[in-house]
Amino acid sequence: MRPPCGVALSLAVLLFAHSGQAQPQDREVVSSPADLPPGVSAVLWKLSVPPHLAPTPERVLLGEKLFNDQRLSVDNTVSCSTCHDPRLGFADAKPVSEGVKGQKVTRNSPTILNALFNASQFWDGRASTLEDQAKLPILNPREMGMPDEAAVVAKVKTIPEYVRDFQKVFNREVNFDDLAVAIAAFERTLYSGNARFDRFITGDAKAFSAAERRGWALFNGKARCNTCHAGNVVSPLFSDQKFHNIGIAAHKTDFPQLAREGLKVVRTGDEKQIDELALETRFSELGRFLVTKQENDVGAFKTPTLRNIAITGPYMHDGSLVTLWDVMDHYNKGGVPNPYLDGGMQRLGLTETEIDDVVAFLFTLTDEQFVKFATQEQARQRGLKSKRPERDTAVAMGKKGNLGDLAPNPDLAVKNPADIGVYGTEAQVKPASTSKP
Amino acid sequence: MSPPARGTQAPEVKKHELPVSKDGNLVVGLCDGETSMEVKGVKAGESLTRAQAQHVSGALMEEWLRKNPNAHWDAVPLVAQAPAPGSTTPRTQQPRTPAPSKGTVREGGVTPESGGAEVKKQQAVPIQDGHTYGAFSDRDEAIWAASTEQFVDEGHRVFHDAQAIGGTVGISCDMCHPDASNTHPETYPKYQVQLGRVALLRDMINWCIENPVRGRPLADGDPRMRAMEAYIYAKRKGVKLEYGKK
Repeated sequence: MRPPCGVALSLAVLLFAHSGQAQPQDREVVSSPADLPPGVSAVLWKLSVPPHLAPTPERVLLGEKLFNDQRLSVDNTVSCSTCHDPRLGFADAKPVSEGVKGQKVTRNSPTILNALFNASQFWDGRASTLEDQAKLPILNPREMGMPDEAAVVAKVKTIPEYVRDFQKVFNREVNFDDLAVAIAAFERTLYSGNARFDRFITGDAKAFSAAERRGWALFNGKARCNTCHAGNVVSPLFSDQKFHNIGIAAHKTDFPQLAREGLKVVRTGDEKQIDELALETRFSELGRFLVTKQENDVGAFKTPTLRNIAITGPYMHDGSLVTLWDVMDHYNKGGVPNPYLDGGMQRLGLTETEIDDVVAFLFTLTDEQFVKFATQEQARQRGLKSKRPERDTAVAMGKKGNLGDLAPNPDLAVKNPADIGVYGTEAQVKPASTSKP
Repeated sequence: MSPPARGTQAPEVKKHELPVSKDGNLVVGLCDGETSMEVKGVKAGESLTRAQAQHVSGALMEEWLRKNPNAHWDAVPLVAQAPAPGSTTPRTQQPRTPAPSKGTVREGGVTPESGGAEVKKQQAVPIQDGHTYGAFSDRDEAIWAASTEQFVDEGHRVFHDAQAIGGTVGISCDMCHPDASNTHPETYPKYQVQLGRVALLRDMINWCIENPVRGRPLADGDPRMRAMEAYIYAKRKGVKLEYGKK
C-alpha cells in the first residue's frame, strides 16, 4: 500500500539534486526571519525570496542608503523614498507620482510594504522581480530621470562612500545590477503583518468592533471582495496577484480604439519601452495589455494587496478614487461597463450601512505602526463621505436592470463567517458577545 | 394541518447511556454504544492524565476486540504513536523562481507582428495571458498546496489534543485511532448501527466526541471539525472511495 518512506525520500533528493545542478545557488537553504509577525507567512516568504537573493544585513544597509538617496536622480531631487515614503506607508498619498522637475506620471505609487511577496511588480506586472523593478524608475525620464545605466554607475562612482560600500558588500566596483540587488534586499525587509485583523483572526474576538465583524462577514459574503482579494494563513496579502479590468479607466478611454493603436506601437518584452508607455502616455490605460498584447488584458491591472490599504490612498492604478467609500461605490455598481470588463464585476447591492461596515473592516488591516496615521485618515475620508462621484445607488440596487445574482447576504444572527475561521484554518475565534448584531 | 401523530416523528438520535458507578467513579464509554469501563480511583468529573487516558482507551478497545473477534479492524498498536505536528508529508512542490535579471533593461524586444503568446517564452516566467480565471501559476499551486497542508496539520493537532477537541476526561482521538487508523473516511456515508442512522464522517466524529472523548459535539462549520475531516481524509490519500462499506 504505502511505499516505504525511504523510496519517496530518495526520489525527492534526486529531483532536488537535479534541479540544483542547473542553478547551484538554489541549493542553499535560506530560512525566513525568525521574527515574522503573525500576518506574514513564512511559507510565502520562502516561496517569494530566491535563496541567492535573500537579504543579508550588509546588502540591506546599502540598499536602504540607496533607497533614500536623492543623488540617484538626475538633478538630486528625487529618491525612491520620494514616492515610497516610509512615513506615508511607503506610498506618497498623491493620486499619481511626481518625479524630477515636478513631472507627473500616469500611475499611482503602490506601497512597497509586502511588495516582496508580489508575484510580479508594477501595476501591470511588467517586471518579474524586485531587482528588475528597482532599475526602471531610476531611468524613467519622468521619475528619476537618469539617461542610462552607465550614467547612474558613473555618478555613483563619484561618491567615495558608495565605492567603498560596493567593494565591501559585493566585492567589486559599482555596477547597476548590484545596485538593484541592494535596493531589492532592503525591500525584502519591508514586510508588514501586525494589524488588528491579525489579532482578531488568531483568536482575540475583542479586537474587532461589531461593525468590523460585520464588515469581515460582508467581505467574504455579499460584498464578494474575497473573489480577488482572497487571503489565508499561507497567503495573507488579500490579493490574487492577477490582473483584472474593473473599468476604472473606462470613463475616459475608448479601449478598442486604444488597443488597436497600442498594438502597432508596443514591442512586447521591451521593458523600457513599456515602462515609458505606461508612465508617460495615454497607452497607460491599456494596463496589462502592454505586457502581454492579449486582448483580454486590455485595461487590466494587478489586484493590489489590501494590507495597509487605509493609509495608501488615493486608490486604483491612477489614484482616481479618493476614499475607500469611493472604492466601495465603484464596486457596488459593478464597475464601469466596457468591452473588457472582468466577468466577476457585478453590482453588489450593498446598503450604505453595509458599505460603512466593509470600510471599517478595511481599516483593521493597518499595521500597528501606522495606527495614528490610519486614525487621521479615517477622519479625513469620512469627512469626504458627502462627495461621492462614483455613487450610483440605482444601479447598485438593480433599479436600472437587475443583471446577475447578488451574493448571499450573511445572516449574522445565525452564522458570522468571522466566527468560523473562513480566513484560514487554525483560527478559533469565539463570539465576542451573544448580543445580536 | 393537524399535528403529526406521535409515531411519525423522526426517531431521536441515539445516545450511549452510561451506567453510574456506585462509588462515584468516572465511567468511560466506548464508541460502540455498549461497552463502558469504570476507572477506579478517579471520580466522575475529574480528568485523566494522558497516560491514564491512553490506558483506559486501550483497555476499552481490547474489550471491544474481544467482543467482536471478526470485526474489520486494522492491526495497529493501541499506544498512540503521534508523529510530531507538521510531519505530514508536505508535497514536494518546487516553486518556480522568476528568471534572474539579465542585468540590462531589455532593448529592442520583438516586432509588433509577433504575438503575445511569445512573451511567455521570452520571459521564462509564468505569465497570465488573457484569461483571468484559470490562469494559475506554479506559485499559485504552491500556495494552495501549502494552505492545504496547514489545514491538515491543524487537524492533526486537534486529533491529538483532548483539550482542543473539548474533551473532559483526557481522551483524545489518536488514542483509539493512532495516525487516524481505522477511521475509514472512504466508507461514508454508511449506516452506523450505534447511531441508528446513515452517518457522514462528521457524524461519527461527533459520536466519538461524546463517547469516549466526553466533549460536546462540534457544529458542522466548526474549524476544528473541518480541520479534523481534512486530516482524516488526508491520511487516506489514494484509497478508493467506497461509500456504504461495512
